[in-house]
Amino acid sequence: MDSAWQEVIQEDDFSAEASIEGGHMEVVLSGTADLTVKPQLDRFLRSLHTETLRRALSEVSVDVRRLEFMNSSCLKSFVWWISTVEEEPAEARYRIIFLSSPTVYWQRRSLNALAGLAGDIISVQA
Amino acid sequence: MEESLANTGDAPESVFRLSMATHELLENAAKYSIGDCVQLEIQLDTSRDCLQARVTNDTTPAHRARLRDRVRLLQHSARPFDLYQSLMRRSFEAGEESGLGLARICGEGDLALAMEGDENTVTIVASSRRARRDPHG
Repeated sequence: MDSAWQEVIQEDDFSAEASIEGGHMEVVLSGTADLTVKPQLDRFLRSLHTETLRRALSEVSVDVRRLEFMNSSCLKSFVWWISTVEEEPAEARYRIIFLSSPTVYWQRRSLNALAGLAGDIISVQA
Repeated sequence: MEESLANTGDAPESVFRLSMATHELLENAAKYSIGDCVQLEIQLDTSRDCLQARVTNDTTPAHRARLRDRVRLLQHSARPFDLYQSLMRRSFEAGEESGLGLARICGEGDLALAMEGDENTVTIVASSRRARRDPHG
C-alpha cells in the first residue's frame, strides 16, 4: 500500500478510510452515515477528490458493503462528488465503482439512483 | 423498531423501507422543528393492512407551506423514482432544504406521503401496504 496518503473518519457509528493501492484509490465505508457525520463526510470526499486529481488516477472504488444505512443528507454529499467529477475536463475525470451488498436493502435503489446521475463514470458491482 | 416489526411477519424489505422513511422524517423534524418536542408514531394497521410512520412537530407557516407544496408534488407524481432522481440531481444547488428526504421515501421506499396538522404543527405520514415475510424464505 502507498502509505504517503490516507484519509480516515472514525466515529462511534461510522467509519471511512481512503488509501491508494496499486494506482487506484480505495475507499471503505461502514456503519451508519447520517446527519451527525455529514460535515466529516463532505471534507473526506473533497480531500479524496483532490488527491485523485493530483495523482491523475483513473478509478476510485468505494466499498459500501458494510455501510448499513446512508441518509439523504449524506447521499447529497455523494451527489456533490459525482457532479464535481462530471464537471472536470474529460482528461481529468475518473471512474467511481461502488462495491455493494445485495443483502443491504438501501444500497440497490440508492446506488442505482446515484449511478443514473452519471452512468458513464459510475458503476455498481454487487 | 425493526426488531419489533420483524416479529409481526412483515418482510424484511418492507420493514427496512418503513425504517428508512422514519429516519428521513425524524431528520427533517430535527432540522426544521421550532419546538422542543417531536412525536413519532409507528402503526401497524391490520384493518387497512398497512404500515405507517407519523412524525409531528411544530413549525413555521412558511415551512409548512413549502412542505405542503412538496408533498403535493410527490403525491401527484406518476413516476416517483424519476422525480427522486431529478431532485437528487438538483439537490446540490438547492442547498439545505432540497426535499430529497421526502422524495426518497416515495421514490426509493415506494411509500405514500400525506400531511396533516394546523397552522403551527405539521404531521407527515408515510405509509405502505404490508408485505409478508416469505415463510419458505
